[in-house]
Amino acid sequence: MLFCGAALAALVTITALRLDGGGAETVPAAGPAAVDSTVCIAPTEYMRSHHMKMLDKWRDEAVREGERTHVTPDGRRFEKSLKTCLGCHSNNRMFCYMCHLYANVKPTCWNCHLSPIEIPPQ
Amino acid sequence: MNQQRREFLKRAGLAGLAGLGAVAGIIPTFALEKTDPSVFSNRPVPGATRWGMLIDTRKCRDGCDECVAACHRTHNVPDFGDSKNEIKWIWKAPYEKAFPTSSRQFGSRNLDGLEVLTLCNHCAEPPCTKACPTKATFRRWDGIVAMDYHRCIGCRFCMAACPYGSRSFNWLDPRPAIETYSPDYPTRERGVVEKCNFCSERLVKGLQPACVEACRGKAITFGDLNDPESAIRTMLAENETVQRKPELGTLPSVFYII
Repeated sequence: MLFCGAALAALVTITALRLDGGGAETVPAAGPAAVDSTVCIAPTEYMRSHHMKMLDKWRDEAVREGERTHVTPDGRRFEKSLKTCLGCHSNNRMFCYMCHLYANVKPTCWNCHLSPIEIPPQ
Repeated sequence: MNQQRREFLKRAGLAGLAGLGAVAGIIPTFALEKTDPSVFSNRPVPGATRWGMLIDTRKCRDGCDECVAACHRTHNVPDFGDSKNEIKWIWKAPYEKAFPTSSRQFGSRNLDGLEVLTLCNHCAEPPCTKACPTKATFRRWDGIVAMDYHRCIGCRFCMAACPYGSRSFNWLDPRPAIETYSPDYPTRERGVVEKCNFCSERLVKGLQPACVEACRGKAITFGDLNDPESAIRTMLAENETVQRKPELGTLPSVFYII
């Protein structure tokens, strides 16, 4: 499985330059990242207890400051986006719901953000 | 429940989850894919960039609304089908509505029935951000007047403050009025104001705004107003352009060639 993941990562192109369409600037384009569902951005125990704080922090930094890159202590880089989480966790479409139902918490994320349940797998 | 049976069920559940994880490593879900952040700058310098737009109405074809459709599709803008609840990010307005203060005395025949593309002007001096009590709308580091929907309390002060009518309020739940969801952008919820975001979610990936990309006539030019070498600055220097209601001092970032 790890081998497959590595092969997939090798296939993913990282940067590409886009030529101007309507006569505007060329900006380096961010491509899709490799999906490696074996390691999360932080240890599971930490994510279980602190994911809401991390998402809040990510949201404010990305939306209001434009600081979009999260660097983990071991040097891996992630985009501060709910999609970074769902890129792996949406494979289990009930991932968020299972705990939230059990703990009877009702986060408002899915009022606007599309949850894995609302997007059919492609 | 029998303790042994409980253990068995727990292990079976874990094994099932592990199986899902194994599949996850091989099959990526493209609908909600991760982005490689290696090209993002770490913290942008405020004021270095000021995004702007130049709309050449001579190239804008009558009756064409592909840019409007592309924008509204990209951003999950609901279509309620009536003007009272209408949500619009970009739309076509008659010339005299878009430029109500321009002189029409002995005006050009070309302006009769002219429809002008209008959207949020992303003003350098935005009145809406000053009216917002929660700083839900604010001027970003790159000149975009952005909405932080998380903070919007739906007071609609910004709508009263905006002299261009660029903001719409969600009186109803927008979800049922969206035909197909675009997975690249969230929807909004009932009770928040929304408007054009200059496609900030596309700019960060190095893409042009959706309206610019959709325009077949290449009537829209998008670029950095602070860069004297940019295509938009070159065009601004070579053409006579106008802004909407310049007398208000809002310093719009959207320019027009009439």
